[in-house]
Amino acid sequence: MTNPNMETLLVAGIDIGSSAVKVAVMEDRGEKGADLLFGRGERIRKRDPHQVAADLFEHALSEASVRRDRLAYVATTGEGEGVPFRTGHFYGMTTHARGGRWMDPEAEAVLDVGGLHARAVKMDEKAKVLGYRMTSQCASGSGQFLENISRYLGITIDEIGPLSLQAQNPEQCSSICAVLAETDVINMVSRGIPTPDIIKGIHQSMAGRYLRLLNSIGIKKVALVTGGLAADVGLLQAIREAGESQGLKLEIRSHEHSMLAGAIGAALWGGYRARKLAAKGIGLGLGGAGA
Amino acid sequence: MSAADPKTLAERSEEIYRDYEFTTVRRWKERTGGLAIGYMPIYVPRELLHAQGCLPVGILGGGDDLEIIRGDAFYQSYICHIPRSTIELGLNGSLDCLDGMLFPAICDVIRNLSGIWKLKFPDKLSRYLDVPQVFEPELGGMFYRHELEELASELERRGAKPLEPEALRESIRVFNENRALVREVYDLRIREPWKVPSAELYVLMRAGLVLPVEEFTAMLREYLDGVRADEDRKPMDQARILLTGSFCEQPPLGLIKTLERAGCYIVDDDLVQIHRWLLHDIPEDGDPMDRLVQAFLDDSMESPTRYIDERGKGKELVERVEGSRAEGVIFCAPSFCDPALLDQPMVVKAVEKAGIPWTAFKYAENNGQFQVIREQAGTFADSIKLWSGV
Repeated sequence: MTNPNMETLLVAGIDIGSSAVKVAVMEDRGEKGADLLFGRGERIRKRDPHQVAADLFEHALSEASVRRDRLAYVATTGEGEGVPFRTGHFYGMTTHARGGRWMDPEAEAVLDVGGLHARAVKMDEKAKVLGYRMTSQCASGSGQFLENISRYLGITIDEIGPLSLQAQNPEQCSSICAVLAETDVINMVSRGIPTPDIIKGIHQSMAGRYLRLLNSIGIKKVALVTGGLAADVGLLQAIREAGESQGLKLEIRSHEHSMLAGAIGAALWGGYRARKLAAKGIGLGLGGAGA
Repeated sequence: MSAADPKTLAERSEEIYRDYEFTTVRRWKERTGGLAIGYMPIYVPRELLHAQGCLPVGILGGGDDLEIIRGDAFYQSYICHIPRSTIELGLNGSLDCLDGMLFPAICDVIRNLSGIWKLKFPDKLSRYLDVPQVFEPELGGMFYRHELEELASELERRGAKPLEPEALRESIRVFNENRALVREVYDLRIREPWKVPSAELYVLMRAGLVLPVEEFTAMLREYLDGVRADEDRKPMDQARILLTGSFCEQPPLGLIKTLERAGCYIVDDDLVQIHRWLLHDIPEDGDPMDRLVQAFLDDSMESPTRYIDERGKGKELVERVEGSRAEGVIFCAPSFCDPALLDQPMVVKAVEKAGIPWTAFKYAENNGQFQVIREQAGTFADSIKLWSGV
């Protein structure tokens, strides 16, 4: 264990998503707070996600100057149940709630927008999940959908947000079905609609869905966007505008580490569990996370 | 000699469990010329079959690999899956190697299946094994003894050896030896669940339904030696769960794996229940038939298929939770399973009264998608680890 008195623990979180792996190494001081020593996300790009996770984990330890055997807990989340060196696994909503709360203590909810789906998670001040709503099976509210669109438009995923902010006359797009939305986009391209207006239209349709999720769990004040799409400034702007147009006072925030929310939350819950188990005198032998 | 690799043993067991041709049974018949007698869940006195030179073969449905073509024609949509797949196995020839089938008293569906079996396979032994619901020796005991004597006579008429007391005593000894090892492996799972993954234990127990008991005993010994020697099996931070409701139709192996991956250690369950139906060894002295009967009356597991006063329902489960140091209960019953689902509200009440966290879902033996169960089990494990007093 890092510190026999459990005041400061080194913990790691690994979040395997559908399109990217995220790793966070943290110094956790319990109720006194926690610091992110190193965090990074890496796109999977048709590789074995577990290998990507293992490589990124090693890299993160090296960057954080932390030895494996100093870690009190290696927590996984997302699709990380198969990581062989994990100490424990937490469900995605649990970890996004915790990570979101660490980033923004005022947030009542996280809006986790990932590669395959989006979900709004309501939590209390201890990051306990109180309720949630998810997008349905259709992928039109997800990062994967945006990636497909960027391919059709011949732009990179990083260009999507800034281009969206340049829109003058956003073109309305289907918010029901990814296939219909993609057909809409092909039509718009053939009609010569400028790329920023197409993207903004897509962002607006996604924003409408996300607002409905947040409304349905009763979020009125602050929601923090987490997951890979939290970096999309155009999407954030579209959600804020949609809220304003509905007369809502809901504040939509993001954080520089929003993409790492799952990994950070997993690491912090890991620290919590390490203390809880130690208090009960239960040793885990670091669950294979030792050197 | 180095210990056997438990993973290899589990792989071999899974092959046996998934073998719809029952190759091991066919080989045993070729080798011995004895009768192979199938039985449905939950309990039959295998010692009696063994003493008459028969091979007891557990038939727990068709699992998730079997395509049901004719089986559905025999049952309405609101009936569970196990009778459909069992009929399918009978009609597609998989069970040709069996000389008979026993249908213990579980529920009306299985009773009905015994009737269908008689009609479809008139040349084979087909017997509904009625078991007592009154546990006084002079009533239920006498009835059960008579039932077993009739079964023994019928087996003898079909070519089995006559039932001799000394042979029955020896069979009791052989099964006691097996039961002791079964208890040992389950006890090890309670103490160190990371050493005995439930998916491995499950296929091992399933293989034990079709192998001769002596082979199964040897396999258990090898497995125990193997897991004890395997230092790569390390503990993880998982919620300790007791799984209940799966005593008849079995969940697909994928469901058990899903629960483990979602963050649960299954530390106790009622899967493949026959191996643990009798809680202790059967005494090897005295009249062996009396001992066999008495063991059923006095030493059986609590089960929804066995009469329990309504006020007592759930008491045994709460004791098992304490005994296995489980931190929560998952009620995991087959869809449309009357015994499990009718008892569940009363058992839930007892579990809640004891302050034990629980969750519930249903399955069918041929389920192939576990995403919803994965999420439910994952959040349940999280709630135990983070928010309960555990």
